[in-house]
Amino acid sequence: MPPYSRRLDTAMKHAPMHAPNQLRVVGSHVAAQDGLAKVTGTALYTFDRSLPGMLHAKALRSPHAHARIVNIDTSRAAAMAGVAVVVTAKDLVGLNPLYGVRIKDQPVLAIDKVRHYGDVVAAVAAEDEAIAFRALSAIDVDYELLPPVMTIADALAPDAPLLFDQPQITALRPHGETGEGIPEPGPNLLYQFNHDVGDIEAALKACDHVYEDTFSFSRMTPYHMEPFVALARLEGNIIELWTCSQDPFLIRQDIANIFSVPDHLVRVHASYVGGGFGGKSFCKLEPLAVLLARKTGRPVRLCLSLDENFVTLSQHAAILILKTGVKADGTFVARDARIYMDGGAYSDASAIVTDKAGYRLPGPYRWTALRTRAYAVRTTTVPAGSFRGFGGTQANFASESQIDMIARRIGLDPLDVRIRNMLRPGEFYLDRDTPIDSDFALGLRKAADRIGYGQARPRGRGIGLAVGFKDAGGEARAARAAVKITVTGRVVVQAGACELGQGIATALSQIAAEILNVPYDWVRYGEIDTDISPYDQGTHASSGIAVAGNAVARAAQDVRAQVLAFAAEKLRCNPDDLYLENWTAQKGGKTFPLQPLAVEYFGGYGCEFVGRGFFKVDEDLTTALNAKRLFWMPSWIGIEVEVDEETGQYVIMDFVAGTDAGRVINAAAVRGQIEGGALQGLGQAMFETLVYAGEELMTATPLAYRLPVAADLPKRFRSFVEEHGMGPGPFESKGIGEAGILAVAAALANAIEDAVGVRVTSLPITPEKILSALDEAKR
Amino acid sequence: MIVSNPLTVRFTLNGREQSIEVEPSAVLVDILREKFGLTGTKITCDQAVCGACTVLVDGRPTASCSEFAFMVEGRSVTTIEGLGSPDTLHPIQAAFIEAGALQCGFCTPGMILLLDALLRQNPDPDEATLRHWLSSSVCRCTGYQIIIDAAVLAAARYRNETRSDARS
Repeated sequence: MPPYSRRLDTAMKHAPMHAPNQLRVVGSHVAAQDGLAKVTGTALYTFDRSLPGMLHAKALRSPHAHARIVNIDTSRAAAMAGVAVVVTAKDLVGLNPLYGVRIKDQPVLAIDKVRHYGDVVAAVAAEDEAIAFRALSAIDVDYELLPPVMTIADALAPDAPLLFDQPQITALRPHGETGEGIPEPGPNLLYQFNHDVGDIEAALKACDHVYEDTFSFSRMTPYHMEPFVALARLEGNIIELWTCSQDPFLIRQDIANIFSVPDHLVRVHASYVGGGFGGKSFCKLEPLAVLLARKTGRPVRLCLSLDENFVTLSQHAAILILKTGVKADGTFVARDARIYMDGGAYSDASAIVTDKAGYRLPGPYRWTALRTRAYAVRTTTVPAGSFRGFGGTQANFASESQIDMIARRIGLDPLDVRIRNMLRPGEFYLDRDTPIDSDFALGLRKAADRIGYGQARPRGRGIGLAVGFKDAGGEARAARAAVKITVTGRVVVQAGACELGQGIATALSQIAAEILNVPYDWVRYGEIDTDISPYDQGTHASSGIAVAGNAVARAAQDVRAQVLAFAAEKLRCNPDDLYLENWTAQKGGKTFPLQPLAVEYFGGYGCEFVGRGFFKVDEDLTTALNAKRLFWMPSWIGIEVEVDEETGQYVIMDFVAGTDAGRVINAAAVRGQIEGGALQGLGQAMFETLVYAGEELMTATPLAYRLPVAADLPKRFRSFVEEHGMGPGPFESKGIGEAGILAVAAALANAIEDAVGVRVTSLPITPEKILSALDEAKR
Repeated sequence: MIVSNPLTVRFTLNGREQSIEVEPSAVLVDILREKFGLTGTKITCDQAVCGACTVLVDGRPTASCSEFAFMVEGRSVTTIEGLGSPDTLHPIQAAFIEAGALQCGFCTPGMILLLDALLRQNPDPDEATLRHWLSSSVCRCTGYQIIIDAAVLAAARYRNETRSDARS
């Protein structure tokens, strides 16, 4: 038995799975659960919700990157007609005003100082948004300017101004044997992750070639189409909150903590989420909406404009310095790396993103030794946090660029070098972590074949390959689920995995339909409400299908067993003699409809059968983090580019992105994830970036922020999906939500070098950078 | 402060005559969402860049976030709710479901209305035309190609329906 099977055995021990060729609903073409509502405009998002007597809130934001707040005078604003309340940091007295993941340093409203352009200084709740907006300009704030800290280099300079004078509240999870997490290890450093495998010095000495290269990674804004929005109200002593967040249970916990209320008195509703890409994860401005509702006693809707979303959360810009040693034949030996992630003004999720950037840096390859020092750096810029890829995108850009550069420097084929070093299915990652559960080499060869790798082409045309690599499923995650069957055999699946568009509602319904042997359209995914829904730790890390999915599969098996036991009792037989199909029990060639049996048993009114399921990844400190990886998420990118050497302009002639879904549950959803992620990555590779010029944000408006539209698609744009059958989710599935974005930028940089012989190591890859590299090469 | 009197606007909304009093500064999307409860029209950028608020005004795709409500006086406005209902889906709506051309769904109403306008003008658009038209709306989820596939599917049905209409 190959090693991966042992692990899958553990993960799947409760899952009664059919052979792939017996699947009816899983893998079949079904209409998305949310399709009808979304195409007819009847889907209700948090954005669409309103309550009688609702006030509207607007936030006053800092016009400075770094300043001390000397005084705030709200009297003029508070006196305006239609203004219900104005709040400032004074209104946080008595609360626990800080939030953040692992490190809590972000106040609900700026206390004493502002740390980035757009920091929230005060907020108004008023009868309508226009009044609230006008009232903002009647709030007078005196600032004493402080020197800004706009870049990683500024922050780490000797005598750099400090963002925080005091240590902040930290609650790290333990790290494993090869990893170490250090909160606030130095001035303007939020966090440090160390990862050590083998004897790095000895390994570097044993190399035939050692190369050090520096990569600069840009940052994007999530640009989720539904703006950030929260609606809060009080019902007696209960705080009720509707939020666009993908983490309703985490938000419940944050609200309970900030307002010092027991968590059973906080009720959070999740609706369809209008896109996230990271921007809807973890606590954002929900506490501000709750604060305003508590101050006024009225429902308050806080909806940010897109301009405000630009200053709420971004991806991490990063500098990655990779010293990599190889043998003359291209065998990888050692990598000594430093990573500097620009965490912006506040923690948000920077600590765990930094862990992941560091841990993913080695890629799906064999190494003798590694030393990684990854830092999250504080700067007076927009806070950085979760963004699709979660540190993996930064790591993949640097690693997959450098591997290509090294192969070319030593005269070897970049594809051959990758394949030579690639971990095979069943091989452990870095000695002891979860064995590889995708055939990375097979997928890469398929991408290479599709893009025409190795074929002769004219000067100016080039092909680049790159492998996207990321662990997925999160850290020791847990989820619960319930599956309810009515007396008519119809099914409601309840879980806490939010529908962000990734298709989780559909996939979970397909899993339940498969296990209960009923038609897919008999199953519906229920709405999420923390009072009612089974607990989920948040829709993160491409974990929905493997974590919530296993919980749903187990809940479906549980309810199936109950129904079989019930039917066996009624039919006076053994449950094992019965076969369930479409709400009938079949025995010895006879079919017994279950509806009349159930109606009679429940006394004519009807009732429901309810099954419950639980899934948790165990904590495990034998590797670098606090659990072993749940699964590995690959992507394979091939790009053919044509570069004009006169101008540096380039055209992407052909683009292919592939992933391994383990087992496809819903082909359209998988395609949508891989292509959508790939285009997001391509936008970043080509042009999309949040730009600061000094203290000023240059591209933080809808018009100035360039993101991919249909006209930006490559001439050919294709995807493929592998089913390697090694995922830990139901029916051997695994998540793929972040796969597409991971290695696109490296593939483009590799294609450009292949075409014209110059290397761009910073994003975005603009014609200007190519042209100046070409000019330099000529000198 | 500018004091202004409400205006009466008469227009056709999803096939029905309507008359409503609006402030001169009111924008169309707010009227649609707040006065008529038509929340299928979304707002993302609020600056006529992203296409989420697209409605049809006399058949033309229009950014309802940047159109004064009084400007639709005497005109015909179609929102996603007027295109088809869950019981009677419009061919483009059906094609979006069939192709899986939606994810978060926030751009979907605007995209569908945009394509309706295109297919009425050009029932057989090529890939370049589709890419050009769709570029006036942002979809952050799909990567667009799957929306283009849905458009091609819908266009074929449009043509078939038009042909069968001509025969009958």
